[in-house]
Amino acid sequence: MELSDYIQFVLMPQVINGLALGIAVTLVALGLTIIFGLLDVINMSHGEFYAIGAFGAISLGALGLNFWVMLALVPLLMAPMGVLAERVLIKRVFNSKDRHVATLLVTLGLSLILEDVLRLVYGPNTHRLDAPISGASEFFGVLVPNYRLLLILVGVGVICAVSFVTYRTRLGAMVRAAAYDRSMTSSLGIPVDWVYAGTFAVGVSLAGLAGVLLAPLYSVFPTMGRDFILLAFSVVIVGGMGSIVGAVIAGLALTQVQALASLVISPVWTDPIVFSAMVIFLMFRPQGLFGRLGHA
Amino acid sequence: MRDEQSRSIRVSHAFLLLFCACALVAAAIGAVSGNSFYLRLATEALILAGLALSVDLLLGYTGALSLGQALYFGVGAYVSALVLLQTASFWLAMSAAGAASLLSAFIGGLIANRVRAVYFTLITLGLSQVIGKVVYNTRELGASDGIIGIPVIDIGIGGWSVSAADPTGFFLVVLVFIVILYGALAYLLETPFGRVLIALRSNEKRVPFLGYSVWRARMIAYVLAGVVAGLSGALYPMLRGFVSPELMSFSMSSNAVVAVLLGGAGTLVGALYGSVLLVVIKSIIGSWTEHHLIVIGALFIWSILFFPRGLMGMIIPYFLKRPSEEQSTVQVPSNVSLSGEAK
Repeated sequence: MELSDYIQFVLMPQVINGLALGIAVTLVALGLTIIFGLLDVINMSHGEFYAIGAFGAISLGALGLNFWVMLALVPLLMAPMGVLAERVLIKRVFNSKDRHVATLLVTLGLSLILEDVLRLVYGPNTHRLDAPISGASEFFGVLVPNYRLLLILVGVGVICAVSFVTYRTRLGAMVRAAAYDRSMTSSLGIPVDWVYAGTFAVGVSLAGLAGVLLAPLYSVFPTMGRDFILLAFSVVIVGGMGSIVGAVIAGLALTQVQALASLVISPVWTDPIVFSAMVIFLMFRPQGLFGRLGHA
Repeated sequence: MRDEQSRSIRVSHAFLLLFCACALVAAAIGAVSGNSFYLRLATEALILAGLALSVDLLLGYTGALSLGQALYFGVGAYVSALVLLQTASFWLAMSAAGAASLLSAFIGGLIANRVRAVYFTLITLGLSQVIGKVVYNTRELGASDGIIGIPVIDIGIGGWSVSAADPTGFFLVVLVFIVILYGALAYLLETPFGRVLIALRSNEKRVPFLGYSVWRARMIAYVLAGVVAGLSGALYPMLRGFVSPELMSFSMSSNAVVAVLLGGAGTLVGALYGSVLLVVIKSIIGSWTEHHLIVIGALFIWSILFFPRGLMGMIIPYFLKRPSEEQSTVQVPSNVSLSGEAK
């Protein structure tokens, strides 16, 4: 095979598949990382929120709703869930002696419940969602499936919007201030409690959005969050816990490593590689590539 | 003079006796009624208790939460299975599993003990997932099916011989084994080294000022916990006749964490009660619905929110109060609030 053919028919499609997955992983990781950056909470139930997003798309799709409506509706419906989880569960252990461990354990318990609820409602089998658009477009001789292109565009748009709100608006300044110094922010009259609940809700909605976007590409089943969340954790750790830029860069880089490595070795071995990257970063640079939200 | 810690360990011993008495009654009922299913289940609960003990040593005493302790449990189980396939020797399998988990926990400890607090939790989770995935994809280890067809062995203890196929006999062997593990850990905690571990949980920053190496203490605790998990895991293939990657999975690790917190972190005996409680709840609920995780998850959250000390952490202080010192608010060294802040 010619080198140009290899690039056109093997390498580039793989890069684009990796890019589509990378954008979705980044969305999930973004939620995880802002929740950690602001609330100092490792959300172990984040993968289940991702699964709820995908199942929400299945349910609403069965009602005959348009995919575009779902794309907006599912994250909106999930926001109250996030507020509820933060107000009812996380807030209660937020001021305990070791916040990290206590909140991690509570969200771990929540993930057990959510996963089983999904299994109860939808059964253990896999579901599939039809892509709203089919076909493929050609760019410089490389065929790109239209749906993946759409996913990339929507994802990039959302990521840009989140960074814009965080770094360029008054609301984002409030969030960053609350992450930096809680009591000072509170004394300036900012309702820090609601900033926390809102941020948690946004994180959860982002996971739900990623679930909707990936539902047409991968099969949907109750434990789908488990493997995916480890990938998202790896992204968050490599990028730096609490860093938005870090999540984007690490999300794209790690999924490219996965996509390209699977050309050389069996795809089943790419997961251990990505998780090893997480372990190595934790060993030598636990703060990740970039610093955390509000601290840099 | 005995301090808080010694006294709470003594109360813990009393509850261990109660635990053993209940276990013996259960074994007697099982042997008479010939109901091997429940004895097998009880044996599995005891094996889980071994894993929970190892989590409790880390969480309850040094204050480090490990979400990957099933890794060493799995290493013990796989090594034991591989040895048993070659030669049907209980002691050989146990010592091989102990050595393998010692070695792997040493390597794992070198990696995991570079970081603290929540990063430690994540690195243990990551490590167990890496190895878990590798085992899951290695055909020589049976890949996703695991290793099946492990022969039933006879366990020679002194002059006696117990067959692993005998539910009552094997249950008693596992019981004795878990009690030995408990005893070893309880003894360790009463030594000066044990006090260093507890000091780590209370205030890690001050430990170096007292002249102790934090890293060394953490390392020893981690390796010991790995060996305890590995030895417990080694019993598993003898009970069920197979091993699977599920034994190293995150759900196995989180089961042990749930058991420890339900039973009461930092009480040692709580790990045993918690494991039995967990298995009992699972089998009771499992008899009418397969969705037991909802109940376990809810119970777990409820326990963390309202009873962060767990079952034994609430009961033991009651026995520690003496009339002469009613004014002192007794603080049992058991809490889920763990090591210091993250870096």
